Amino acid sequence: MKDEKKKLTRRDFIRGTVGATLGASLVGINWSKAKGAAAESSLVTIVRDKNAMDAAKNVDTGILKNMVDQTLIKFTGKNSVKDAWLSLVKPNDMIGLVPTPHLNPTHEELVTAVKNSLIDSGIPEENITNAQGGPDKPKACTALIGLPALKAHWLTGIGTVLKLYILYSGSPRSYHEQNNSKLGEIWNLPFVKGKTRLVLVDALHPLCDKGPQPDPRYKWAYNGLIAGTDPVAVETVCLKIIMNKREAMRGEPWPISPPPLCLEAADKEYGLGTSQIENIKIEHYGWDEDLLL
Amino acid sequence: MRISSKAVSSISIIIILILAILAGVILKMKTTSIRLPETIGSWTRPDSPQIVTSSNIFDYMNGAGELYIGYRFDHLEVYEYASDSQDDILVELYFMDTSDDAFGLLSLDWGGDPVVLSPSSADRTTGSKDQFSRALYGEGLLRIWSDELYARVMAYRETPEAKEAVLTIGRAIAANQRNLPGPEILESLSPVIDSEWRLRRDRTRFFRSYLVLNSIYYVSPENILDLKLSVDAITAPYEKTNDSGDRKRARFILVRYIDPESAQRALTHFHEAFLPEYKVGSRMDSATQDIHVFDVEGGWLGYRLHGSHLAIVFDCPDQESARKIIHQNILNIKEKEESNER
Repeated sequence: MKDEKKKLTRRDFIRGTVGATLGASLVGINWSKAKGAAAESSLVTIVRDKNAMDAAKNVDTGILKNMVDQTLIKFTGKNSVKDAWLSLVKPNDMIGLVPTPHLNPTHEELVTAVKNSLIDSGIPEENITNAQGGPDKPKACTALIGLPALKAHWLTGIGTVLKLYILYSGSPRSYHEQNNSKLGEIWNLPFVKGKTRLVLVDALHPLCDKGPQPDPRYKWAYNGLIAGTDPVAVETVCLKIIMNKREAMRGEPWPISPPPLCLEAADKEYGLGTSQIENIKIEHYGWDEDLLL
Repeated sequence: MRISSKAVSSISIIIILILAILAGVILKMKTTSIRLPETIGSWTRPDSPQIVTSSNIFDYMNGAGELYIGYRFDHLEVYEYASDSQDDILVELYFMDTSDDAFGLLSLDWGGDPVVLSPSSADRTTGSKDQFSRALYGEGLLRIWSDELYARVMAYRETPEAKEAVLTIGRAIAANQRNLPGPEILESLSPVIDSEWRLRRDRTRFFRSYLVLNSIYYVSPENILDLKLSVDAITAPYEKTNDSGDRKRARFILVRYIDPESAQRALTHFHEAFLPEYKVGSRMDSATQDIHVFDVEGGWLGYRLHGSHLAIVFDCPDQESARKIIHQNILNIKEKEESNER
C-alpha cells in the first residue's frame, strides 16, 4: 500500500511549518529580536573569563572555580555558593554529575570544580557520584547535575544538552538517524524525569563543526560556562552561539545541517522547556568579547 | 554451585561459535599494509592497533559511526602514540572498500593546508582535469585520502614537534600506496555554466548516504532519494556573482544509481515527497529529455533523469538557471557516454 503520510522536507523549514529556531539554524531565518521580555521566561546565565584557559588551552582551576561560584550565585540569586546549591539540591540528595564522556569530553577540571563546590557547601562526598553511563546510574541518584560539553554534531545538528542522557536509554542506537528527534523522551523516563537540578555547559573550548569527532580547526576559546534549569533553553542558547561562531568563521551564513530536530521536539512533544529564543532570558557576566549572542 | 556437564557443553559450543564468527570477521577484513614507525621523537605507539569494525564502531565513537558506515567501510585501526613530555597523537586508519569511499570522507571538508606526503602524489590530482588534494593539515589534524585508506592523524595539542611527528606518520601511511583517481562521477561535473555560474570545487562532496547528504545540504529526515551504498553521488554549489557583488548560490546534486529502473523509482519517491502538490507526470522519464522545473520555497528546483543518473538543482533564482545547470551537466554525461562507446 502506498505510504500517504506526508514526509517532512527542507521546504517545511523554509516555509516555517516547523519551529523558528530550526528555520533559523537551517536557512538563516532571523532569530527573534526579543530577548528576556517574556513573563514566563527561562533564565540562562553565561559566565566568561578571558583567562580561563591559557594559550596552550590549559585550564586555570582557580579562575574556573570562581566562574562556577559566580554562575551559581547569579543563576539562583542567592548570596552565597552554599545557599545557591541548597536551593537546587537537598543535603541528603544522592547527586549524580553527568559529564560528556568522550569525543570532546567535558573538562575534568570542571567536574572536579563542581564536586568540590558541592562538598564545600556541605554535601557529603559519598553522596556525589559520576552518573554518566547506563540506566542504573540515574536510578541510583535523586538529583542530577548535567555537565555537557558544547559541540556541534554532524548527525543531530547540536550534541550538547539533550544528547547527554542518551546512555540512560539503555539503547543509544535507537536514537540514531532520524530517531534523534526523540532524544527528549529520555529526559521523561521515570527514573530520569524531574531529577535534573542544573545544566552547566562546559563552553570553555567548544566545537562548532564536524562533531562529535574532534577537529581542532573548529574549536575555539569561548572560555564560558552556560547554566540553566531548562535544558531546552540552555540548548537553544548553545545553538545560537555555535551558529554565530560558524558565521563569524566563514564570513557568511553557514547553516547547521541537519537542523537539530530534537530541540523542537523536546519543547513541543516532550514539554521539557522552551526552544523559543524570545522566551529565554539570557544574562551574561564577565568577558563580553565575541559573546556570539 | 555446580555446573552440569550439559551446561558446560552448551557454553563451549557458544564460545566456539563466537570465536568462529570473530575469526570470520577478521579473515574477511582487509589486511593492513601500513607500517607505522614504532617511535617518533618522544612518542611511542603500542605494538598492535585497536580494531574497530562496523559491529563495534558505535562503542568506539557513538554518534559518529554512521558517517563511516555511510560509505563502504571495512574496518578501522586505531593507534595512540604516547609521550612523557607531550600530549598523545591519535592515529585512525579507516580501511574502505574503494578509493572513492576514502575520497568521499576527505571531500567532506577541503579546508586546511594541502600537504604532499609521497612523491607519487606530488601532482595532487585525481587523474582527471579536476584537482583535489590528497592530504590536508590544520591545527594538529592531518587527514589523508590514500588508495582505499582514509586516515586521521591528530595531535591532541599542536606543537612544532607534534606537527612534525604527525607529518612523519602521514608520510608512513602514504608510502607505497597507490594514488588512484577520484570517483568517475566527478568528471560529469561542469566547472562553468554559460560563463556565469561557477562550480565551487572546494565544496564538492562525494557521498552515498542520505545522512551524509543531510549534513551537507538538508533535504529531508527520510531517505527520499533512495540513497544507499550502491549509488555514487556528488553535490556542489554553483555560484553566480553579479556586478554589484550580490551572490547567488544554487545547490546541484548528481546521483548515479545501479540501473535506470532504480533511478526512476528514486525520482518518483523524491517527487512525491518533495513536490507533493505537483502530480507525478506520466512522462517523467528519461525518454522525454525534459528538464522539469518547479517554483518552490527557496527558489527554483529542477531535475532531469538520464539513464541511471538523476540530476537535481535547488535554490535557483530563476527557471532558466535551473535548466542551464541541469542541461550542461547532463550534456557532459552524454558526451562521456559517447566517448566511452567510441
